[in-house]
Amino acid sequence: MAVAQTDIETLATADKPRGYWSGVGRRFLKDKVAVAAGCVAGGLILMAIFAPWVAPQDPFDGTMIRRLSPIGTEGYPLGADELGRDMLSRLIYGARLSLFMGVTPVLIAFVIGSAIGIAAGYAGGWVNSITMRVLDVFYAFPSVLLAIAISGALGAGILNGLLSLTVVFIPPIARVAESVTTAVRKLEYIEAARASGASAFTIVRAHVLGNVLGPIFVYATSLISVSMILAAGLSFLGLGVSPPNPEWGLMLNTLRNAIYVQPWLAALPGVMIFLTSISFNMLSDGLRSAMDIKQ
Amino acid sequence: MTQPLVEVSDLTVTFQGTPPVHAVNGVSFTLAQGEVLGILGESGSGKSVTLKTLLRLLPERRTRIGGKVAVEGRDVLALEGRALADHRGGVVSMIFQDPGLALDPVYTIGRQIAETVIRHEGVSRSTAMARALEMLELVRIPSAKRRLSNYPHEMSGGMRQRAMIALALACKPKLLLADEPTTALDATVQIQILLLLRELQREMGMGVIFVTHDIGVAVEVSDKLAVMYAGSFVETGSVAEIIRDARHPYSQGLLAANLVGAEPGALLKAIPGAPPALHAPPVGCAFAPRCELAGPRCGADPLPLWQARGDRWARCVAAAEAAVPSHAEP
Amino acid sequence: MSDAILSAHNLVKHFNAGGWGAARKVVRAVDDVSFDVAPGETLGVVGESGCGKSTTARLLTHLLPSDRGEVRFRGRVAGTEVPLKEFRRHVQMVFQDSYASLNPRMTMLDAVAFGPTVHGVDQPEARRRAGALLERVGLDPARFGPRYPHEISGGQRQRVNIARALAFDPDVIVLDEAVSALDKSVEAQVLNLLTELRRERGLTYIFISHDLNVVRHISDRVMVMYLGEVVEIGPTADLYTAPRHPYTEALLAAMPSLDPDRRTMEAPLQGDPPNPIDPPPGCRFHTRCARAFGPCPGTAPVPALVGRRHLASCHLNTVKEAAE
Repeated sequence: MAVAQTDIETLATADKPRGYWSGVGRRFLKDKVAVAAGCVAGGLILMAIFAPWVAPQDPFDGTMIRRLSPIGTEGYPLGADELGRDMLSRLIYGARLSLFMGVTPVLIAFVIGSAIGIAAGYAGGWVNSITMRVLDVFYAFPSVLLAIAISGALGAGILNGLLSLTVVFIPPIARVAESVTTAVRKLEYIEAARASGASAFTIVRAHVLGNVLGPIFVYATSLISVSMILAAGLSFLGLGVSPPNPEWGLMLNTLRNAIYVQPWLAALPGVMIFLTSISFNMLSDGLRSAMDIKQ
Repeated sequence: MTQPLVEVSDLTVTFQGTPPVHAVNGVSFTLAQGEVLGILGESGSGKSVTLKTLLRLLPERRTRIGGKVAVEGRDVLALEGRALADHRGGVVSMIFQDPGLALDPVYTIGRQIAETVIRHEGVSRSTAMARALEMLELVRIPSAKRRLSNYPHEMSGGMRQRAMIALALACKPKLLLADEPTTALDATVQIQILLLLRELQREMGMGVIFVTHDIGVAVEVSDKLAVMYAGSFVETGSVAEIIRDARHPYSQGLLAANLVGAEPGALLKAIPGAPPALHAPPVGCAFAPRCELAGPRCGADPLPLWQARGDRWARCVAAAEAAVPSHAEP
Repeated sequence: MSDAILSAHNLVKHFNAGGWGAARKVVRAVDDVSFDVAPGETLGVVGESGCGKSTTARLLTHLLPSDRGEVRFRGRVAGTEVPLKEFRRHVQMVFQDSYASLNPRMTMLDAVAFGPTVHGVDQPEARRRAGALLERVGLDPARFGPRYPHEISGGQRQRVNIARALAFDPDVIVLDEAVSALDKSVEAQVLNLLTELRRERGLTYIFISHDLNVVRHISDRVMVMYLGEVVEIGPTADLYTAPRHPYTEALLAAMPSLDPDRRTMEAPLQGDPPNPIDPPPGCRFHTRCARAFGPCPGTAPVPALVGRRHLASCHLNTVKEAAE
């Protein structure tokens, strides 16, 4: 008598099941702008990794004869800088430090900030309030000032620059992680998981992480460009990377005196910073919309 | 020979996209002045789309509309600019399921009603405000004078719905379109709104097209009913005819699903399956895959019609074959 | 009541609605609610928005801690005498929003298998059980098992949610508006499934809904709530034919008649339900009640037996002068 009604609703969806990530990939590939940005970003990363093979000259080798050669000089397609070093090679080598200074602090801050934010968001209540109020203290300072202050206190150097940038990025990432987690925690599938008797740790691992890491990661990618610009700013001020290392921000600084003599040459590091940050930004925009399930 | 208020013939609406959606497939009906038509259907049946076509509310660029839609003899599909603006709100107006979305949160209720009146009738602000007060009293909002200066969020759900009705009726439209206006309301508030609509319709002599998924609600307000499935009317008739003598298996299934005459605790005579996705226009009977009476003859195009009078018909092969009018059949 | 499978004893839940000190506002979502459910019975819970029926569901399943009162499972207090983890195996819940109640990154098979793995069943066995349950609720596990929530329809998702609850082999399932969001034809299918499962497995349901037709169809007993309180509880047939509380009467009168010759002519109540932040004193319904009299604004009525297993909280049933 209680026969299973198996003929039910079999008409509604006829297509094959598709995984979540394959759907994301498919939507991402459809987005021409995002794919182009991804190619540029990927190209820059490859360029940084293979700098010794790609660069035509030694980036440290300069002669005063060639100083401030214009763009298009024989053998020096992008000219030479104020110490006569090949601009193209320095820009290529510069990608190494600049990208490193852009990506690393964000990655570290992503790990630490997510942990703080997810814990605060899932715990809720006063734990959440206290954590978030403490993080709010950091918001009192503009991020540039904060980075300069920390770097300045610690002294110049790549490591100190990294550290100060990481500290700057933890609060915003934690804040995003907290808000995403709070939103997810209120959904009924979390309630259903709690009704299954699972522990908080199991629920976070099985049901929360997968749903919040994506959005947090997308946000973090958008910070890479900010981080690069801040790192460049630190170098420009003489904090962070120090000469003669090639780094775009530092190059911008050292070339600024040449702006009246060779304006195009002086602008080149700025162009690289702009190109990198805009491609990372568009990449994260593309990721964001590709991860939107309801498309 | 009086002209009908609304005349829709062979209306088709297709949303272009990948894949396209054939939302409405050949809907025809007429509505006389002062008549109430209930359109009954489930989500995705095309009932709201049909309604929005009458106000030209569908996104123009990705919608293809075929057939003829006329209100008071004017071709709605050909209206442009000023004439379209006069049509919307002046001749035809609409109330929605969620008054929170239909009312502007940054203006007071009185101001919103007054603006509408000024736009359509060009009267002075004080006349328009007087009309707004009159409208709030008409929809029986207590202490109407005070409510004029309320913002939508300061009102309860039932009050907001009344305010939206007041706004819709402010310019004395000939035709009121109602898109599930009581679905989000509590039962005791729903019945108040239904009774109010019924009363106002009678007083103002409007034509009303009332779209709902709830048979009970449709019965409370409608004179005529049309049952809609997969973008087509499958059966029409008076309310009593459809409730007591449904001929189309889908109408019968819907009645059973609304627990009309069901025995408590027993299994219901449920329709299996789910509505089709409508990526292609249906050929023959769209309900056939879910119908227990279906056979190869259900693929016929056009389908034979069982018809008693002009507006009492069912588009079903089985109903047409069992042409002996029998009231005993469930 | 020792023969009850699940019982609520004086449950109270208030929420903060902002403000400090004297200006503090409190939503009295559930105020002193007691009832019990017999094994194999279906208890319908009806009431309008803000009456506290969803909060009651979450208190019953211990998803929300109650301010006062206790929930007992087979006479033992949940959370203390019955450990929560064990309690959750016996009492499961199905939510209204079929989409929000499924993890968007989890396949249907994993969603159903998750519960048993929490309770120590190994992965392959849990997946085998999940497959069998999907089959039972009418979804082919080979086709629907690997799908994600956004790839299936609302009715199918609600079947998965039911299968997930069944995976614990529970005794009681609390259904919070579980069919309300579905289309009527799909709703009927799910109601049939619930009826079959109940017969097969001897399940006890607490069926929360605003739809009085559906509640009448599926319930043995019905409980009516108003502003956080139980106003009437009794056998379905008695309550629908002879309600003993004016609010129940009004709710029933507000149901569309489904008879074109006998349309509703007058609304039984005017206005909206009052705000649960500041419920009226005395009987909470007296501000909307057409039959309110002497004691109503001052004294809160207590539940009184008005028939077999039929309780109502109304002065009309107990105070003598009401007869005049």
